[in-house]
Amino acid sequence: MTLVDTTGSTTGTVRGTRLSRRFLQHRLAVASAGIIVVLALLSLAAPAVEWLLGTSAATTNLFDRTAAPSWQHPLGTDEIGRDLLLRLLYGGRVSLAAGLVAAIASAVIGTFIGLLAGFYGGRLDALLMRFTDGVIALPLLPLLIVLAAIDLNKLGLPPSIAQSENVSLYRIILIIALVGWTTVARLVRVEALSMRSREFVLAAVAQGSGSARIMWVHILPNIVSPIIVATTLSIGNIVLFESVLSFLGLGIQPPLPSWGNMLTNAQEVIWSSPQLAIWPGLMIFITVIAFNFLGDGLQDAMDPRAID
Amino acid sequence: MRMRLSSAAFAALLAVLLTGPTAHAAELKDELVIGISQFPGNFNPNIDSMLAKSYILAMARRPFTVYDKDWRLICMLCTELPDLERGTARIEPTAEGKKGIALTYTIRPDAVWGDGTPITTDDVLFTWQAGREPTTGISNLELYDRITSIDQHDDKTFTMHVNKFTCDYAGINDFEVLPAHVDRANFAEPAEYKNRSAYETDTTNPGLWFGPYRVTQVVFGSHVVLEPNPTWWGKKPQFKRVVVKAIENTAALTANLLSGDIDYIAGELGLLLDQALAFEKRHGDKFDFSYKSGLIYEHIDLNLDNPILADRRVRRALVHAIDRGAISQQLFEGHQPVAHGQTNPLDRVYFKDTPSYAFDPARAAQLLDEAGWDTLKDGIRYNDRGEPLQLELMTTAGNKTRELVQQVLQADWRKVGVDVRIRNEPARVYFGQTLRERKFRAMGMYAWISSPENIPRTTLHSTMIPTADNGWSGQNFPAFRNDELDTVLDDMETECDASKNQALWNRMQEIYATELPVLPLYFRANPYILPKWLKGVEPTGHQYPTALWIEDWHTVN
Amino acid sequence: MLRFVSGRLIESLIVLLALSFIIYWLMGLMPGDPIDIMIASDPNLTAADAQRLKALYGLDQPIFERYLNWIGSALEGNFGYSRLHTRPVMEVVGARLPNTVLLLGLSLVLALAIAVPVGIYAALKPYSQLDYIINLTCFAGISVPPFWLALLLIILFAVTLGWLPAGGMGHVVAGSSGAFGARLEHLILPTATLTLLTVGGFTRFMRASMLQTLRQDFIRTARAKGVSLSRMVAAHALRNALLPLVTVVALSFGAMFSGALITETMFSWLGMGKMIYDSILGNDYNLALVGLMFATGLTLLGNFLADVAYVWLDPRITFVSLEQRR
Repeated sequence: MTLVDTTGSTTGTVRGTRLSRRFLQHRLAVASAGIIVVLALLSLAAPAVEWLLGTSAATTNLFDRTAAPSWQHPLGTDEIGRDLLLRLLYGGRVSLAAGLVAAIASAVIGTFIGLLAGFYGGRLDALLMRFTDGVIALPLLPLLIVLAAIDLNKLGLPPSIAQSENVSLYRIILIIALVGWTTVARLVRVEALSMRSREFVLAAVAQGSGSARIMWVHILPNIVSPIIVATTLSIGNIVLFESVLSFLGLGIQPPLPSWGNMLTNAQEVIWSSPQLAIWPGLMIFITVIAFNFLGDGLQDAMDPRAID
Repeated sequence: MRMRLSSAAFAALLAVLLTGPTAHAAELKDELVIGISQFPGNFNPNIDSMLAKSYILAMARRPFTVYDKDWRLICMLCTELPDLERGTARIEPTAEGKKGIALTYTIRPDAVWGDGTPITTDDVLFTWQAGREPTTGISNLELYDRITSIDQHDDKTFTMHVNKFTCDYAGINDFEVLPAHVDRANFAEPAEYKNRSAYETDTTNPGLWFGPYRVTQVVFGSHVVLEPNPTWWGKKPQFKRVVVKAIENTAALTANLLSGDIDYIAGELGLLLDQALAFEKRHGDKFDFSYKSGLIYEHIDLNLDNPILADRRVRRALVHAIDRGAISQQLFEGHQPVAHGQTNPLDRVYFKDTPSYAFDPARAAQLLDEAGWDTLKDGIRYNDRGEPLQLELMTTAGNKTRELVQQVLQADWRKVGVDVRIRNEPARVYFGQTLRERKFRAMGMYAWISSPENIPRTTLHSTMIPTADNGWSGQNFPAFRNDELDTVLDDMETECDASKNQALWNRMQEIYATELPVLPLYFRANPYILPKWLKGVEPTGHQYPTALWIEDWHTVN
Repeated sequence: MLRFVSGRLIESLIVLLALSFIIYWLMGLMPGDPIDIMIASDPNLTAADAQRLKALYGLDQPIFERYLNWIGSALEGNFGYSRLHTRPVMEVVGARLPNTVLLLGLSLVLALAIAVPVGIYAALKPYSQLDYIINLTCFAGISVPPFWLALLLIILFAVTLGWLPAGGMGHVVAGSSGAFGARLEHLILPTATLTLLTVGGFTRFMRASMLQTLRQDFIRTARAKGVSLSRMVAAHALRNALLPLVTVVALSFGAMFSGALITETMFSWLGMGKMIYDSILGNDYNLALVGLMFATGLTLLGNFLADVAYVWLDPRITFVSLEQRR
C-alpha cells in the first residue's frame, strides 16, 4: 500500500537516441506504453462511443439489467441496465485522471521540497527532511481514512467545490498529493545535493546567477529522469490505491464511475454477475501492471546502473 | 502479446472459480452457526439498542412485552398485559395534575435467572433505578424517566406509575430487566457502570441470562457461543450450541455460507436484498430464501424550506416522474412493495383509500409547467427568472442499494427535465449532522424502522422540527408544519376508542399523502437465507428479531 | 552507537507525540460524533439526553483540552476505555496485537523465504525466459487489487474446493485440543493473501540488488580468479545484495500494517488493522490513538532496524556517518 518506492539515482544527461533505443529493447515496456495509450484514447473517446451506440453512460434501464453482450451493449449492462462498456470508459477517465493528476501533483510538491532541501542544504535541509521523515512515519491508510471523512466545508472550501458531484475525485487527488510526495522529494534532494558541487553549477553560481534560476535551468533538467520514472510508477499505484479506498467506502463516490468503485460494487453480485467484477478488475490489473512495466522500462533506459 | 495472454488467463481462471461450489453436507445439526454482519459493542441490554446485540440477547433474555409475528402485543416475561377493563391498568392524575396511568404486571412465577435465582420485583426496581440514573450512559432514559414510582406488591407483582397516558400503555418492550443479585454491586459508581457491568466483565456468568440459551463464550469481534440454559422455563430448544459469527464484508459472508462455515445468514442483520436476490439466482437450489417485507420505510425527505420544494405541485410531480413499480419489480423482484405513505399496508391501522401517485411522466411535466418550470433548455427546466430546476439528492455513502436506486431516480427525473445532483455522505456525517441539523439542501433518502401501530409523532409533528434552540432534537427533518395534523397526532395518542382512533389514523395518512412532505419509495424486506434443514424461523417484519422465538427453530431431513 | 540509539529514540518519541496530537485533531475535524447519530436514530432522545451523553463521553470539551486529559492519564498508564468495545483499551489491543503480529510475521517470513532464492535465481540468469516469467509474476502480484485477490482465494479454496475455511478465527472452544489446529487452518488464506501481495516487490528488489552486486568490481575480480558462481554468491554477493532488501523490508513494516487491514476485513481476522479502521470511523478516540501509536511505533521501529541493519551488513558505514546521512 505504499505509493511508490524507487531508489533510482542517475547523473548526467542522457541522449535521446540512446534512451529510445534502450527503451525499445524493453519489449514489455513498449507493449505497456501501447496499452496505456490505447486505454487513454478509448477513455477520451467515450462520448464518441456513446454516440456510436446511441445511448449514454447514465441511461438506466431497469428492464434490461445485467444483460449479456449484444450489438447495443458490447459488454452487456450493469445492475441497473447501464451500458457496461461506456461505464468502463468513463470509469477509466476518472481512474486515469486521478492517477495522472495526483502523481504529477505529488511529483511537483516533491520536486519543490527536494530541490529546496538539496540545493540550500544546512538547516533548511535538516528541517525539511525531518518533516519528510515524519510524513513517511505516518501510518498511511488510517490517516487517509480520517482525511477522507473530514468535512471540506469546515476547511473553508467554496460550496461549489465542496458540494459538487466530483468532490470525491478532488479529495482523493488532494489526499494522495499530500502524502505521496515524499519519494520524489528524497530522490530529488539526493540528486540536487550532488549536483550542487558539480562544476557547471559552481560556474553558474560564480557568474552570479540567482538561486531560482540555477535550480530551474541547471539542476532540474538533469534530474528529470528519476522524477519521470517515479511518477510513472506511482500512477499505477494510485489507480490501485483508489480501488482500495473504494473498497473501504472512501473512494470515488457514485454517480461518478471509477474502476475502483465499479469493482467494489460488483463484489456484492459476484455470484450472479461475475462479469461486472471481471471487467473493472481486469482494467485495474492491466493498467497497473502496464504502468509498472513502463516505469521499469523507462528506468532501465534512462539509467542502466540504477536499482530497478 | 504477453499481456493479453495473461489477462485472458485471468478471466478464464475467474470463470472456473465461479463455476460451482462443492456442496457441504450439514452433518452436525446439534450446532447452528449463524452469520451476521456486525458484532455488538457491548452486552448490557440497557446501554444502547444495537441490532446485533438485540439479536444475540433475544436468545438469552426476554423482554417483558413484545410484538409477536402477527404484530400483536404479547407478554413474554409477564403473565398478562395490564388492561383498563380488568383493573390492572388504572388512569390516575400525576403530581402535576396531568393524566397518568398505573400499570400492574406480574412476573411469570417460574421465571429464574440462569444461576437459579428467581427473577423478582427487586430486579425490576434495580433496573428502574439504573435506568433513570443520568450518568450511567443509558441512551433510552426517557422510558425510565416516564415511570415516577414503582410499588412492590410481592416478589412477583408490581405496579408502575407512568406520568403520561397513551392508548398503547400496555407495552413496556424496552424495559430490560437487569439482575440485581449480580449487577447491583457494579452499580455502586453509576458513571462507571457501563464499563463495570457484569455483562461486560463477566459475560458468561449464568446469572445474567434467562432465555432458552445462555452465553457461554465470547470472542470479542468474532463470535458468541450460546448453549442451552438449564433453568429456562419454556420449550426446550433443539440445538446444543448456537454460534453467532460476525462477518462484516458481505461478499465474505456469502462465501462463508457457501463453504459451510456458517449455516444461516440472519435476515435482520445480513445481506441487502439485492445481494440476496443475486445470490439466489446462482445458488437458489441449495438454500431456502425468505423475504419478509416489513416496517422499514424507505423514503426521501424533502427539505420544505427549499423554495422549489415548498410548492406542492413540484413535490407531486417528483413522485409522478419516478417509476417506483419498476424499481420494486425489477430491482427487488417484487419483494419490496411500493410505499404510498408511511404506514405499512400490513399494519392494522393502514388506511386503504390513501391517495397514491402513479408513474405518469406526462402528468409530472404538466404539474411542473403549472408550477412555473416551463422553459426547457438542454433538457432541463427553467423558470421565468432563468433559474434551473436543480435539486440535490443525498443518501448514505457506501450503501450500494441506495446508491443504485438513487441513480435510477436521477435518470427518471432527468427525463422530465429535473436536474438532480447526487451527493452522498458517510452515515456518521449524514445522520449525525446533515439530516439532524437539516443541512440537506433538497432531498435526503433513508429509512425509518418502527414497531407496529407506531404513531409518527416524532417525524411529523411541528414541535419535532430540529432547531438550534431545541438542541436539534426531533425527527421532523423536512420541517413539515400542518396544524390539523398536529391536532390529529396529539389526539391519536389518547383517543382509545377503536373506531375514533382509526378515523384519526385515516386522516393522518390522508394528510401525509396529500401534502407529500416526504416522497414514499418502498417498504424494505429483510432477506433470510436458510439451510434446507432449518425450519421454524419466522420473520417478524418489525424491529423485534426472530431469535425471540429461537426455541421453535428445529431441523428436518 | 549508544548516542545514535538514544538520539533515535528521543526523535521517535517526539514524532509519536506530535502524531498523537495530529490524529486527535484530525479526528475532531470529522463531522458528526457517535452521540449525534444516536440522537438522529432514536426519537426519544432529547437535547438534554444528548448533552448528558456527550458530557459522559467527554465529547463536550474543546479538542485541545480533551487531548491534554488523554495524554495526562496515558502517561500515568491509564489508557481508558474503548467506547466501541466497552473494554479497557489495553485489553482490546492485547487481544488483537498477537493476531496481527502472527499474520504479519508469518507473511513476512514466507515472502522472504520465496523472494530471496527466486530473486537470486533471476539475477543469475537475467533476461532468460524464466527471468521474464518471474518478473511478470512479480508484477502481477503487486498489480492486483488486494481485496480482489482475497476474494478469489476465498472462492477458490473455501467455496469451490472446500479445503479451507473462508474466514474467521475458528470458534472451537479455546484451550481444547483442536483450538490450535483450527486457528492455524484459519490463518492459511489470510497469510497467503498478504504473502502474494508482498512477495513480488521483495523478489524484484532482491533480483535488482543481486544484479547490481554481481556487476561490482570485487565480484568480477573473484569471477576472474575462478571462484565458482554458487560459492561466490554464498560467500560474497549475498551479503551485499541483502543489504538494500533488509532496508526495504524494514521500511515496509508500516505499509504491511495497512495491507493487513484489507486482509483482516476480508477474512474476519481479528487484528489491529481492522481495529484501527473501526475505531477511527467510530470516533473511539482512546482506542484509535493507542492503535495508531502502535502502528507508528512499528514503522519507526522498522526505520530504526533498517539503519541498524545497514551498519551491521555494510562495515563501510558507521553510526556516525549514518547520522550525517540522515
